[in-house]
Amino acid sequence: MLSQKYLKLPKFNYWFISSLLISSIVCIPLIVISTSFFGELSGYYNLLKDTYLYLYIFNTLALLLGVLILTFIFGVGSAYLVSFYRFPGSTFFTWALILSFAVPGYIYAYSLTAFFEYFGNLYSILKFLFGEGNYNDYIPRIDSLLGSIFSISFSLFVYVYLITRACFIYQTQSQIDAGKNMGFSNYQIFKRILLPSARPGIIAGLSLVAMECVSDFGTVAFFNVQSLTTAIYDSWIIFDDINTAYQLSFFLILFVFIFFSLEKISRSRSRFNIPSRGYRTIEKIQLNGRIKWLAFLLLLILFFFSFIFPVSQMIFWIFKFPNNFNFINLLDLTLNTLQLVFFTTLILILLSFITNYGMRISESKLLNLVTNFSLSGYAIPGIILAVTLLGFISFISNYFNNDTLKMIFIGTVSGLVIAYCVRFYSLAINGIKTGYDKLNKSLDDVSYLMGNSKLGTFLHVHFPFLKQNLILIAMLVSIDILKELPLTLILRPYNFETFATQAYVFASQDMLEFTAGPSLFLILFASLIILISKKNILKGF
Amino acid sequence: MESFLEIKGLNYTINKEKILNNVSFDIKNQGDIVCILGPSGIGKTTILKSIAGLRKIDSGSIILNKKTLTDNNNFIFPEDRNIALSFQDNALFPHYTVEENIEFGIKRSLFCSKNKNGPLKYSIDELLDLFFIPELKKKYPHEISAGQSQRVCLVRSIIHNPDLLLLDEPFANLDQNLKEKVQENLKDIIKSSNLTTIVVTHDKYEAFYLGDYCGILLHKKIVQFDTPYNIHHIPNSREVVEFFNRGVLVPAKVMSKDTLHNEDLGEIKGRFMKNYQRGESVNLLIQPEDLEHDDSSNLKFKVIDKKFRGTSFIYTLKTPSNLRLPVFVHSHHEHLHAQNEKFGIKTPIYIDHLVCF
Repeated sequence: MLSQKYLKLPKFNYWFISSLLISSIVCIPLIVISTSFFGELSGYYNLLKDTYLYLYIFNTLALLLGVLILTFIFGVGSAYLVSFYRFPGSTFFTWALILSFAVPGYIYAYSLTAFFEYFGNLYSILKFLFGEGNYNDYIPRIDSLLGSIFSISFSLFVYVYLITRACFIYQTQSQIDAGKNMGFSNYQIFKRILLPSARPGIIAGLSLVAMECVSDFGTVAFFNVQSLTTAIYDSWIIFDDINTAYQLSFFLILFVFIFFSLEKISRSRSRFNIPSRGYRTIEKIQLNGRIKWLAFLLLLILFFFSFIFPVSQMIFWIFKFPNNFNFINLLDLTLNTLQLVFFTTLILILLSFITNYGMRISESKLLNLVTNFSLSGYAIPGIILAVTLLGFISFISNYFNNDTLKMIFIGTVSGLVIAYCVRFYSLAINGIKTGYDKLNKSLDDVSYLMGNSKLGTFLHVHFPFLKQNLILIAMLVSIDILKELPLTLILRPYNFETFATQAYVFASQDMLEFTAGPSLFLILFASLIILISKKNILKGF
Repeated sequence: MESFLEIKGLNYTINKEKILNNVSFDIKNQGDIVCILGPSGIGKTTILKSIAGLRKIDSGSIILNKKTLTDNNNFIFPEDRNIALSFQDNALFPHYTVEENIEFGIKRSLFCSKNKNGPLKYSIDELLDLFFIPELKKKYPHEISAGQSQRVCLVRSIIHNPDLLLLDEPFANLDQNLKEKVQENLKDIIKSSNLTTIVVTHDKYEAFYLGDYCGILLHKKIVQFDTPYNIHHIPNSREVVEFFNRGVLVPAKVMSKDTLHNEDLGEIKGRFMKNYQRGESVNLLIQPEDLEHDDSSNLKFKVIDKKFRGTSFIYTLKTPSNLRLPVFVHSHHEHLHAQNEKFGIKTPIYIDHLVCF
């Protein structure tokens, strides 16, 4: 006898309610910031408006423009070379370039400064090669804005590289053949066929870079660039004016929201690149003669500056000042970092599965809207996210006149994990969503008809299919947590350091060479994760 | 006697657009095959999905083997219906091999309802053989062609041994030669396993071969439901005639209870399918097989076109009043008729069933 169940509208199922709840919680910081914008303006805000606000905005825009130009050149150029040509090292560079993702902008900044400073490493190299001399007069000083642009660009161009490469390799050979048939040169094929069809992907990559760039704190703070993020930090830490910090954040979020929307639109447009039947993979062209060595050299330079340079700087310091290791407790740093990575990744994977599955089966516009809104939480600078969460927990505790919440979430690992979850929720959601987009919905129907319930379909169809995406997001989230600085700095428990915070503490005390240990271990762990999951990363974008 | 499947007044709307309008039909006996014929995008797949429980209809009822699957108050979820649907598009799980895809239909694991019908009398290997894909077991969906995927989907649906088998354009990606062989084997499997089946197709020959009954879906509703023979020879409306696009309607006048008169063809005798008044003007359906060729006849028209169909030729003749008449001639007929040549029609004309509108 078949069981008869009364008709239920899907939007009222458990999946829908849980998904909506999760996304709504992640929205809280955004709502707090948005509503505070319409609050009373403080004296400091008015002072800022009349003095430095435009400088902050100008600097942020200049930084953004510089980073976008450089990441475009680095990302698209390298993606083009490895996607369409075969030359010495092309296979190696395909994955090796991703390693620069392991180097956060602020660590790059430490290396850059140490290299070009008075009597810095460049000076030492010149002295070693050519003997004593007045080299300091000839060594260029790194301008703070320029330094920030280079540091951020080298650490973020991977986004553009990965997404553009994915667009390039999914081009069909037939398009290229059609171009050749019309008499186009290789350059014309690139300009008139390949680049336009990869444009949505490039825009998506640049939008991600833009979002990360405007919310960067570690690099600009180190170089003392007066940008919107440093202004937010100053408003809160120096002037103790949280409202102004919120209001400035609102500007920043608006900024980021534009890129966020741009990225979403571009991603949806880049779907025409998804191969279907009749698709022919591109045949790579073998480069010969000088050209092949030129291609090799270009990518070697990029790989050197984005990865080898900061790593070798750290290694150099470690060998030069081995006693500096006495000032750090490596085991504690490793355990602290790993427990944050483990718990956050676990929770995020769980949450992103629930939300994605909820969105898939309920097809609710409300849930989509709330989730999409919550995704922009990725754009909230870590400092602001920290402040909002602190404010929210205090508000709830005060409202119920109960300090339990404060004890659980303020200055504790659990509080930090929650903050990370909000910050990287978007990354996890999108990681799973990318997989779901490739899984035809009629497959769910097939599964139901084979007798599987919704949970059965999730366990027997979705989960095995999404395993690759799961690994990818676990890796990406882990790397991001390893690198995350301001959030950890503010919310960490007393006497609790991670690699990132330890390096920052030394750098902020002008003890640059002491940053080598934590920085190198941070890069080492992140590189290890990248090497383990390089296939997933290359496929996943 | 109660029908095995009873579909009454299905209505379905998406974004205020009516997709199904009062669709009704039934399957009298378990093991019957019903084919739903209709042009593309008319709602054929929606009927299947509604029966499977994948679409929630606005109103109407679906009763399978005396159990109400859907009506205004009840809705049995797809997983509890024991209905298999073979989708038109490639619906194989990309992360499972062909074998695992097929086993997915029979392995009952956690959070999966039980199939009370027990196993089918065919094994996976036997079915793969019968569908000419024995070598595909260990391959992944991306390694096989669209036609092969479609046959794997068929095997997966059948092996499930469902109460009702729904097939959505099951042969769309197969070449003609293979299609006929697969159709023969499929029919054999369905009949020997007593699987009640609904096939959706836009290919009338497929429908006429497989179906015990056929439903013609036009304008979002079933406009005729009958045996393939009757659908072909006795279409019940002009729209069905237009859908098949096979015969022509010629003006005629009713002369007696078994005679019509047309200006070009003269007297036409036969059995009327409906009653008409003497002197009434009607349009008579003439299909290629209704007129017979006779070289010695005095009734001759000019040949304006000739289509070779393997077993036959279909000649198109032009009459003095500009009618274009299709005439079937066996391809072994001793001589061919060239364009503009005169072509004789046997008189007196007798048509077994006079279908008039």
